[in-house]
Amino acid sequence: MAKYFSKEKWKYLFYTISHPMDGYYWIRHAERGSVPIAILMVVLFSIGFTVNRLLSSFVVNDIDPRGVDSLYELIGVLVFYLLLCVSNWSVTCLMNGEGRMKDIAIAIGYGMTPIGVMFYVATLVSQFIADEEQAFYGILLGVGIAYGVIMILIGIMQVHNYTLGKTLITLFLTFIAMLIIIFIVLLISNMLGMVMTFFRSVYTEIIFRT
Amino acid sequence: MKKFFQWKKVVSLSLASLMLALGAGETVQASSLPYDTYNYDYREYIHYTPAAYAPSGSIKGESLTYNGESLGKFTTPQDLCEDAEGNVYVADTGNNRIVVLSPDMKKVKNVITTFDNNGQEDSFNQPYGVCVSERGRLYVADSQNRRVVILEKDGTFVGTVQDPVSESLEDGYVFTPLKVTVDYADRVYVIAQNMFEGIMVFENSGKFSSFIGTINVEISVWEKFWKRIATKEERSKQQLYIPTEFTGIDIDPDGFVYATNIDATGVQGVRRLNPKGEDVIKKGENENVGGDLQIDGSTDYAGPSQFTDVVYRENGIYTCLDRRRGRLFTYDYEGNLLYVFGGLGTQKGTFHMPVAVEDLGDKIVVLDATRAEIMTFSVTEYGRLINEAVALRYDGDESEAVSLWQRVLELDENNELANTGIGKAYLTAGEYKLALKYLELGMNRDYYSIAFRRYRNELLIDNASYFLTGILVLVVAYQVFKRVKGKKKGKKEEGGLLNG
Repeated sequence: MAKYFSKEKWKYLFYTISHPMDGYYWIRHAERGSVPIAILMVVLFSIGFTVNRLLSSFVVNDIDPRGVDSLYELIGVLVFYLLLCVSNWSVTCLMNGEGRMKDIAIAIGYGMTPIGVMFYVATLVSQFIADEEQAFYGILLGVGIAYGVIMILIGIMQVHNYTLGKTLITLFLTFIAMLIIIFIVLLISNMLGMVMTFFRSVYTEIIFRT
Repeated sequence: MKKFFQWKKVVSLSLASLMLALGAGETVQASSLPYDTYNYDYREYIHYTPAAYAPSGSIKGESLTYNGESLGKFTTPQDLCEDAEGNVYVADTGNNRIVVLSPDMKKVKNVITTFDNNGQEDSFNQPYGVCVSERGRLYVADSQNRRVVILEKDGTFVGTVQDPVSESLEDGYVFTPLKVTVDYADRVYVIAQNMFEGIMVFENSGKFSSFIGTINVEISVWEKFWKRIATKEERSKQQLYIPTEFTGIDIDPDGFVYATNIDATGVQGVRRLNPKGEDVIKKGENENVGGDLQIDGSTDYAGPSQFTDVVYRENGIYTCLDRRRGRLFTYDYEGNLLYVFGGLGTQKGTFHMPVAVEDLGDKIVVLDATRAEIMTFSVTEYGRLINEAVALRYDGDESEAVSLWQRVLELDENNELANTGIGKAYLTAGEYKLALKYLELGMNRDYYSIAFRRYRNELLIDNASYFLTGILVLVVAYQVFKRVKGKKKGKKEEGGLLNG
């Protein structure tokens, strides 16, 4: 455990956020990232998302608290994360990507950190703003999200040793791969359900005949 | 200790049962209303409210007498209106007569079946709409005689409005007036059958002047796309995109026309037309003046509300009648839904085919064509409080309305208008903390924001000395910390040098 959460790994997270190009390079080549920290950051992001929706001030918050379910959102974000990693990995495997599953997980997880942090910061700031100052709140969130997206982009670019154009293409393909995966999962679950019903009806038939 | 708790439990239980026993002595009023009364909140959830109006009886034709004889049943009556003295005029369409009732609707004052039209005896044929002008003249939309008949109050003939002539009318156009209203200058506004161009306006001389309030057809991009790829033959078989007709009409003292139409989207079922004919209605917080907001479903009972009539009441309040679910929706001048009551059914106080609505002071009356009855609804405490509070706000006396809103809250804790009203009053009074509380409950973000800024500034000014002192302390502490650390570091470095 200590190996994953050592002080160096934590420090390196902050180094990656401030120097994404360099940081991601050494994650790929010198094992300086940590998957558990990346997952922790995704969880942090998810909690931040919920916190922002529930606790930001009435001035900026138009969300019905009855529609917010933190556990559901956590599961949703984690599943999305897993899906993104798997589909990116499967696409980049075919496109000469150098990154391993581990590197992709770290690239995306670390990239989500600024977004997550900004959710908390914006929530805090929202408690002190009134009407016209709403723009600050929007800028805070916008900057966080933009930085996070850029980080994820750079991360994927660096761990696979791609050019920017190729990264964008792979990201588009990743999106399609995600849809395909979702489709197949739905198909399989549907099929399994049918098989289950078949066996269940066979069972009831036997029960009734004997 | 444990025993003590048990003892406490026993006492509290017995107290609770005692209170229950005492409470049982009071008569608990079960809701005797035959319909649901509710309102929609900011999030478009239904919240049930006390009734604003409760059924208080009905008037049938056969229970009335005129000149010692029974009046006989109404037959598919279609409209009713009130004059300045409170007399009620009923267009008894199927019997070709206009019945004039006294203000309490217990006596028949007059029955107009015939009138003297320049020496000839004339009568009505399916009089569909009726209206009394400010001057006290009676306007009858005599639908199958293709004219609007103008009579004095006692029934003497004044004139007619018929045969509109205009370039914009097709040749052979048959004028079939259904609903009619008159403004302060005796201009006549007529809703005519199969007239999709809007409300027909006639000068006081009876000359047709123009259409107002044309409802534009909105075609979605998707529909346009299908239209584009369809062949000519297919297109001819498709349904035409024609605007909806108006269904009911009323006018306020300033000459603004309120007119209902059936809106398939359920967003806007009523229009408020200024003298130029532009729609100037305000749609309120939910951007909707179309009746029910929750309209999903596939039964006959689902779908958007169909407003068939509207009555302008006073202080900007107007009530629309929905024939699909038999409900009356009352809005204020900002388009906020104030209360909903009424329903379809066979019980007392419900409708079968409601066609017209009129306001008689503290009563609202609805005319039902199939039941051939006039249903009356009298205002309850809850409705009266809301009416009065809205009236005060309309006049700009928001602070006076507070005590009324507070009583509304006692009856209906979640009333957003009441919460907002109280919040605004606190805001003007400078009680920002309370204002914040009520404005949040009222879901009024704009005023909340203003209250919050003032509250924040007040806090900052009041506690300025603490803030400034705090900043000073922090700066000093930082400097001290830096010095101390610097010294320590220096020592370390010295030590290191010595060691090296």
